[in-house]
Amino acid sequence: MAPELHRLSRLIFHLLLLRPLLHLIFGLNVRGTENLPARGPFILAANHNSHLDILMLCSSLPLHMLGDVHIVAARDYFERHKKLFTFLDWLFRPVWVDRGAGGGDVLKRMVEIVDAGGILIVFPEGTRGEAGVMGRFHSGVGRLVGDRPLTPLLPAFILGSERALPREAALPLPVWQHVSIGPPQIVQGSGGDITRDLQQSVAALGRSETAKRQRRREERRQAFVVAVLGIDGSGKSTLARLLAEDYSVDQSTCLIGDELMLFADGAQRRAQPLLKEKLRRWLSAQAKDARSLAFYKIPKISELLLRDALLGEARRWYGPDLVFMDGSPLLNMTAWSTLYRNELMSPEFCARAIEILSGGGQPNDPLYREFPELKAIKRLGLARLHRPDAVIFLDVAPGVSMKRIFDRGEKLQVHENEEKLSRLREAYLLVVRALNENLNLPAFVLDGERDQLTIRDEARCLIDEIRTGIGEATS
Amino acid sequence: MQGNLSSFDWGRPEWRQITPLILLLVSSILLLSARLSRGRLHIPGYLRYLWAFLLVFAVADFVSFTPAVWLLAFISFRALREYFSLVDLRLEDRLGVMGAYVAIPFMIFLVQIDWYGFFIVSIPVYAFIVIPYLVTVFDEDGRGSLLSIGMIDFGLFFFVYCLGHLAYLAYYSTWLALLLLLSVTLCKLVSTCCTSRGRLVGFLLGLPAVVGLSLLLQPWTDVPLVPAVFVGVLIPVLVQMGERTITAIERDLGIDAGNLEPGRGRVLDALATYLFAAPIVFHYLRWIMKFGESVTGHGA
Repeated sequence: MAPELHRLSRLIFHLLLLRPLLHLIFGLNVRGTENLPARGPFILAANHNSHLDILMLCSSLPLHMLGDVHIVAARDYFERHKKLFTFLDWLFRPVWVDRGAGGGDVLKRMVEIVDAGGILIVFPEGTRGEAGVMGRFHSGVGRLVGDRPLTPLLPAFILGSERALPREAALPLPVWQHVSIGPPQIVQGSGGDITRDLQQSVAALGRSETAKRQRRREERRQAFVVAVLGIDGSGKSTLARLLAEDYSVDQSTCLIGDELMLFADGAQRRAQPLLKEKLRRWLSAQAKDARSLAFYKIPKISELLLRDALLGEARRWYGPDLVFMDGSPLLNMTAWSTLYRNELMSPEFCARAIEILSGGGQPNDPLYREFPELKAIKRLGLARLHRPDAVIFLDVAPGVSMKRIFDRGEKLQVHENEEKLSRLREAYLLVVRALNENLNLPAFVLDGERDQLTIRDEARCLIDEIRTGIGEATS
Repeated sequence: MQGNLSSFDWGRPEWRQITPLILLLVSSILLLSARLSRGRLHIPGYLRYLWAFLLVFAVADFVSFTPAVWLLAFISFRALREYFSLVDLRLEDRLGVMGAYVAIPFMIFLVQIDWYGFFIVSIPVYAFIVIPYLVTVFDEDGRGSLLSIGMIDFGLFFFVYCLGHLAYLAYYSTWLALLLLLSVTLCKLVSTCCTSRGRLVGFLLGLPAVVGLSLLLQPWTDVPLVPAVFVGVLIPVLVQMGERTITAIERDLGIDAGNLEPGRGRVLDALATYLFAAPIVFHYLRWIMKFGESVTGHGA
């Protein structure tokens, strides 16, 4: 058959069979046709997920261009089906690539096509790959454009083919296909640079296309919880806030301190009001105004329990990446028990108390006899306190912290005297030891008498180290 | 035609047959001029589908009901295809989606042969049992399967089953289907005109308009007076409910109602309110008119 006759029959095939069928079965929406040059040569590079991709791209081009279109296809894959190979060879006149063999001949052939004013459709990923995931681009197209820098290179993104006919599927599923064609790229640099830029352009088109699609709720991220401990006046609230603000530049953070705050993009964000938070603040005010330890205990414990419940609520409603807690209800309660039973304190004791309060422990633990409160908490079903993922204890001499409290000018709370604070400090140090030695939970002691920003940076280094360690362990 | 307006016989069978053709002609001219105006004349999507339905009913009246009902099947396929393109499906859901597509010819065939008893249970009983199974066949993990089943079942219910009711209504009488379609269109037109005054004003103005339309079409629909008034009240209420539901679904699917791209909500936005109202209106009319028992439709 004469070449002109071939050309005509190809056009008729596209016009009367392929395009109507694709529109009837799938539906094709093409954006960015205004970016196409009026005629060849040009190179159209797209993502590759399905055998449908080539049909979709050909159907996106104006009819008069079809005569000049050539595709790049893998010979080893299609040669297995002789009839299909002959048919594709007639319909698309591909530049056949032998994967695994050297690309010199292929590149030469592609340069010839471009020089003759042809239109090349390439899939730089080389293979269909995992559905909906764009693989790394091979450098062939970059080398070609590097050789012919004046040939327009157009990125294109196909959305829908990964659902209609992914690699894993045998039968096509009727769903819409969206082809988005980007503006011609201005190329410079080596073949590798051009390929990298091209991949970025295709990915950017893909992002704008996939953004229009419904997404199922993302899997709930488990927020990383950091508890900042310290006696009153140690600067733990300030450190927690500084950390929450610092991390919020690229992540969303939540601070559970005297009040609940959310941070994102480096600034405080409005939080959806929570009833528990309002109740907790009222209880906190009651505890601060208490005249004796007895009046202090009940509102403080309730406040701590609510603070812990708030951690669950914050995770559920706000979904932050990181939560910073000013104190940890679990550890605070454990440490505070020393104020009442100093003689019992030991790392093992602390570890057991933490186990019980966080929902574990033995049912007949002798600890219950020593601490009836613990039994009451357990019976009320309140002993399900969250364990933080990392703990930072700000160590400050009680004298210094007392001075800081006086400087604040606030009313003194019942336990805020040097003797009680030094006992509390020792209890916290014991808890930190228990965490590290008995419970294998990372807990650090930082010197709190230094500049706040220095402490923050040091804390950040430690937190990052733990998070990377956890990330590596899970992956 | 001779004679003055007072002697005009509204109920004459010729008018009953020709009016859908006149409506088709008017809407064709409207759509054609919108196309030729290159965007200066904007025609809402639901009017395009009203045109499509008028065409289908003209085929039903002047050719045969069989090609008409298969045209409705094609509309159902288009709507379902768009819906499945919009929802976030997993690779494992493909078989379930295939099952949903297969349900279209199955259900349309039941309408064609007038097997009401099976039509009414085909999707709620059989498809809703089979599709969850199909979704889980290739799903080793199981996570997200409930969401997928919900998504597929809703699409099937809405774009196939509800459209099947419209097809059945048309099977009984073209004018009953037209009563539904014209009433919904009227409601939507009135509420579009009253957008700035709020939903309630649109509803309150639409209500008497639809009751009036229902009474006006009474000689052709053969619905008795009281049920005609009731249908006139029922449809605006259903349209209000439908609009609210559809808006929420569109928002969830990320459809930008102001800028509808092909394959991204055009069919859903245009068709959804018609489909929302169809089953209840159908059941009310079937209950009142006892279609299938005393009155027969196209199949007779």
